[in-house]
Amino acid sequence: MNGQYASLLIALPLISAFFVPLIKGLGKKAVKYYLVLITALQTGIAAWVFQEVYTTGKPIIVMAGAWRPPVGINLYIGHFAALFVLIVAVVSFLMAVFSIRAISVDPIDKYAMLFLLVMLGATGMIATGDIFNLFVFMEITAISAYALTAYNKTGEAAEASIKYIILGGIGSSFFLIGIALIYGSLGTLNMAQIAQLAGGMDATVAQVGLALIVFGLAVEAELFPLNAWAPDAYQAAPHPITAMFSAFVVKAGLYALARILYLMQAVSSWHSVLKLLIIMATLTVFVAEFAALRQKNVKRMIAYSSIAQIGLIGLAFALGTQSGVDAGVFHMVNHAIVKALLFLAVGHVAVSLGGAEMEKFEGLGKRMPLTAFAITVGAIAAVGIPLFNVFWSKLRILLATLGAGYSWAAAVVLIASVVEAVYYFRLIHTMWFAGEGERISEGLAVSLMLLFLAALVIVIGVYPDYAWSIAQKAGNDIFNVADYIKNVPLMGVGA
Amino acid sequence: MLKRALAIITLLIIGYWLAQGLAGVPFGEDRMLVAQYYLDHVKEQTGAVNTVTAVVVNYRGFDTLGEVTVLFIASTGVGALLWRKKRERTAKTEGSIVLTTGTRLLAPFIMLFGAYIFIHGHLTPGGGFPGGATIATAFLLLYMAFTVYEIPHKTFEKVEGAVGMAYVLVGLIGLAIGGYFLYDWIWQDWGFGVDNVGRLLSGGFIPVIYTIIGLKVGTELSGIIDNMLKEEVSE
Repeated sequence: MNGQYASLLIALPLISAFFVPLIKGLGKKAVKYYLVLITALQTGIAAWVFQEVYTTGKPIIVMAGAWRPPVGINLYIGHFAALFVLIVAVVSFLMAVFSIRAISVDPIDKYAMLFLLVMLGATGMIATGDIFNLFVFMEITAISAYALTAYNKTGEAAEASIKYIILGGIGSSFFLIGIALIYGSLGTLNMAQIAQLAGGMDATVAQVGLALIVFGLAVEAELFPLNAWAPDAYQAAPHPITAMFSAFVVKAGLYALARILYLMQAVSSWHSVLKLLIIMATLTVFVAEFAALRQKNVKRMIAYSSIAQIGLIGLAFALGTQSGVDAGVFHMVNHAIVKALLFLAVGHVAVSLGGAEMEKFEGLGKRMPLTAFAITVGAIAAVGIPLFNVFWSKLRILLATLGAGYSWAAAVVLIASVVEAVYYFRLIHTMWFAGEGERISEGLAVSLMLLFLAALVIVIGVYPDYAWSIAQKAGNDIFNVADYIKNVPLMGVGA
Repeated sequence: MLKRALAIITLLIIGYWLAQGLAGVPFGEDRMLVAQYYLDHVKEQTGAVNTVTAVVVNYRGFDTLGEVTVLFIASTGVGALLWRKKRERTAKTEGSIVLTTGTRLLAPFIMLFGAYIFIHGHLTPGGGFPGGATIATAFLLLYMAFTVYEIPHKTFEKVEGAVGMAYVLVGLIGLAIGGYFLYDWIWQDWGFGVDNVGRLLSGGFIPVIYTIIGLKVGTELSGIIDNMLKEEVSE
């Protein structure tokens, strides 16, 4: 089949979102099942793209309007994008199923549209090969995320959303100025051509432009000190949306950061930007883990834990070595699975018991044993115990950090991991050894999803080789810029 | 005081650093790698005489699809957050005689002018976004002049969705005919309007898309006005 059909990854969610106003007369149920159907279709397309890219080993280049880059915009669906587009689609599908049970606030039709558009934005950010197009997709993701954060229409939700809008707006404008500087000095917006020409850029312009882009994307990527919005937004957003934020929205920002960083590695001031990022990422891990320790609300606690893990991925990407990037991608995959599992389970508890405070989790092992089991698997994995998936990627990140000569960063991460173990084991203890309660029904669909995700965690934990080989290919896609330039059929304008 | 001084010093340092960066960007020099290509080939490749439009809708049409989506999200978001079970207009003061008479006279012409802007997007400055915004101005005037006026917002919402789908469909037809998403099959394959460059019936799918965008932006902005003006009333 023609590779250009991969553009359906963008076209399908978009046309489906526009279709929602026309079917909203059919009722709430219909809209929710429609959402499940569309995300299932998207998963199918993403699976086809994944299979195509990983069997041929060649990226799919989608050229919008048949214009060859850099005149037109292209999508670059290489090993990384193929993998993550699939993850975005699968997580969206699971959360669409969860939404049937978890979302009761009106207006559902608007929820469905924004849900599809968040998925679309993240897919586009990961797939695009044009830096301004990246900005457009980032806006799509961010603005739908602002609206979804406030969707529950409580006071907290409005406050969280306003915080997010202000920080996100500042971040977007930084990002835009950064793009303007790069465009001003290179005259092109295509990522491959930017990488090609980056070596000849003025060192100060490159440093300023790159630093502005790093700061702009750091808001979306939740790096310290620009992540103050994240815990509030995670706590206030509807439960399925929180899982999506953690599993792929933040990852899309992080990926964009890594991609642009490595594209510009030819500029002479590159290492100073990397150092800045290493400090930001290490601080993110440290601050978030200690903040998580003090939380009384489990959803908020896991939100902090998610931010810390994101910092760890940021650290891996900022090392500037092949092994660092591979480990970072591997951790992204593992973290997406574990956090989807945890937020799904915690959201499920909050929907069933009416809140996510620590007291609600007392005796959960007796009231909702399957959910408690899933949270336990997720928690043990997140701490990084051997035979669970996160162990392998955390280990590789630590080794890569030591290999790059940043032993102080590795030490900080290790200390933070001990803190992480403390609060996760406290949660496990609360669930199994405190409180009493009657068994209540857990729902078939959610139970199946929890079992599926928990099984993935353990399977990757016991047999990490296959997942690791995929992560290595995807990491190579980011790190090996020469191949990236070669794969994009630039038409040689001005070069 | 100390805090403020520190903030000012930090700002100055950042400002200096940014200015250094800006100073390094060559100003007024020929830096037009891609831009020169557009200027040289725009007429034969797209049939539009307004190069900006050709870049926005044709060469970088994918971005424009995204921008349309951003506006759609803004309107959907406003709709989602201001949603109440029952909402009505609560304005009490009727517009002055100048406003009401002026609105009665001007509203149709403003809409006509908006339509003119987006239909002629491939020929003259402007296009779907300003055209749609102009149309929305007419509705804003109606809202200000008459306390009872309401747009048929159910219909508007459906139109908004339908024209959005039409945009994606135009792109998908391109995928089916030419093998590329958002491929301009009207100009490239049919060669429609080749002898007509610089007149209304030319420019490939640009007028089609700009009409779609004009309608979409017009209905969306009017919808936002409607959402913001109405207040919750108890049943």
